[in-house]
Amino acid sequence: MADSKGEKPYDPFEALRGLRDAGMDAWAKAMTEAIHTDAYAQSSGAMLDAYLTASAPFYESLQKAIAQALQQLNLPSRADFVSLSERLTNIETRLDDMDAKLDRVLAKKSSPVTPAVAARSSRKEAR
Amino acid sequence: MATLPWNPGDLAQAETNIRRLAKVLTTRAAIAQTPKEVVWALNKTKLYRYIPVVAESERKPVPLLLVFALMNRPSILDLRPGHSFVEFMVKQGYDVYLLDWGCPGPDDKDLDFGDYALDYLPRAIRKLKAVSGSEEFSMLGWCIGAILVTIYAAVYPDDGLRNLLLLTAPLDFSQKDAITFANWVDERYFDVEKVLQRFGNMPAEMLEYGAKALKPVENYLGSWIRLWDNLDNTKAVESWHAMNTWVTDNIPMPGGAFRQLIVDLYRNDRLMEGTWVLKAKPVDVSRIRANLLTVIAGDDHITPPCQSESIYERVSSTDKESFHIPGGHIGIMAGSQAAKTTWPHMQAWLAARSGHIKTPA
Repeated sequence: MADSKGEKPYDPFEALRGLRDAGMDAWAKAMTEAIHTDAYAQSSGAMLDAYLTASAPFYESLQKAIAQALQQLNLPSRADFVSLSERLTNIETRLDDMDAKLDRVLAKKSSPVTPAVAARSSRKEAR
Repeated sequence: MATLPWNPGDLAQAETNIRRLAKVLTTRAAIAQTPKEVVWALNKTKLYRYIPVVAESERKPVPLLLVFALMNRPSILDLRPGHSFVEFMVKQGYDVYLLDWGCPGPDDKDLDFGDYALDYLPRAIRKLKAVSGSEEFSMLGWCIGAILVTIYAAVYPDDGLRNLLLLTAPLDFSQKDAITFANWVDERYFDVEKVLQRFGNMPAEMLEYGAKALKPVENYLGSWIRLWDNLDNTKAVESWHAMNTWVTDNIPMPGGAFRQLIVDLYRNDRLMEGTWVLKAKPVDVSRIRANLLTVIAGDDHITPPCQSESIYERVSSTDKESFHIPGGHIGIMAGSQAAKTTWPHMQAWLAARSGHIKTPA
C-alpha cells in the first residue's frame, strides 16, 4: 500500500518473498524436467505395480469377508446393486427409445409429410 | 521516509485474513449457480438447459450444447456468478445446454467412448432438438469432451451439427515425445489392465494425481502460496476458492473409456490414424463438415498444442479457424483473462454462424 506521498512502505519480507519466488521457479523447472524423463515414468509405474501386487491378497480377502458378512446378514452386496442398476439403466434406455418414437409420431401427425422429410426420416430410421 | 508496515489497523486486517483463510479451507464455494433445468437423463448422465434471460426474439436460433470431460465436473463452465462462460453465453442470447456425464459407479465400468459418443450423446441431442425446436445445433467439446464431440461429428456428419468448437482437444497422439502422459502410460511402465482389474473405474484420486504431477511444484505448493500472498484481496480469494472447489471435486473415469484412452489413443493414435472403430462404426475425421473452431492453449501442459493442431487439416469443413491463445488447459476458459479474450472470440465466431436456421428441404 502506498502512503500519502505515494511512497511504498518498507516491507522487511519483500526480499525474502523474492528469494522464495526465485527458488520456487528454479525448483518447478527442475521438477517439470524430471517428470518428463523415462526414469520417472519407470519408477512411478513400478511403485504402482508394487502397490497393486502387494495389496492384492489383502484386498481379495477383504472383499470375500465383506461379501460373506453381507450374505449372512441378508444384506445386498455391491454385485446386487450393480445388477439392479444395470437393469434400471436398461429400462431407462427402453423408455428413451419409446420417447423418441413418440416424438416422431407426434411430429408426423402435426406436420404434413413432404417427400424430402419422409426420405430424411427413413434415412434416420435405417441408421 | 519509509515507515514500518504494522499499526493497529494491520491487526484487524490480519484477523480478517485468518477468518478468510479458515473459510476457504473449511467450506466449498458456491459454484455452478446459473439457473438451469434438467430436460433429459439417462443413467448418471443429465442434460441441462439454462434458463434464457434474453427475449425470444433476440435469441440466437441455433442452440449450443456444451460437452465436458468424463473425469471432471462440468461446473468449470459455470464457475461463479460474474465469471461464468455459461452465464456469458446465456446473456449473449444463446439457448445453452450442458451435458453432465455424472459420476460413474461400479455398474459403469464397461462404458467406453462408443457408449458415450454414439449412444448417450445422440440421445441427448435428439432431446435438445425436441426441446429447442431446432434441427441444427452447435456443439462445444472441451478436453476429453472434445474427443467425444469429434467422434460424434465424424460418425454423424449429417445430423444437424452446424458449428463444432474444440477446446484444448487431445486428438493427435503421434508426437509422443511432446506428450508427458504418453510416456507415463507407455506399455513398458503402466499396466492398465491390472489397474482396472483392481478398481473397475479409474479412481479420481489417481487421475487428480496424474494431472497435478505434471507441474508438481505449482500445483501442490504454488497454488497455496498464491492464496497466502493474496489473502487481503477479496476478489482473488473468492476466485481461488471457486477454482479450488472445482479442482478438488474430481470423479472417477469409467474403466472402458480409460482403457481406450490409454490403449487406442495414447499408445496407438487410432483416431488420427483413421483406424478407430466404435460400435462397428469407423471414426473418420475427414467426414466432419461442420464449421470448425479449434481453440488451442499455447501453454497447455495437459494437452500440448501439437495434439490439437492437426485436426484443422484433416476435416472436410470449408469454414474453419484455429485460434491460438496464451494460457493453460483450464486457464484459457476459467482464468481471469478468459472473459476478455477467449469467450468474446468464441462468441463472435459462433454469433456469425448461429443465425437463420435452414428450413428442411
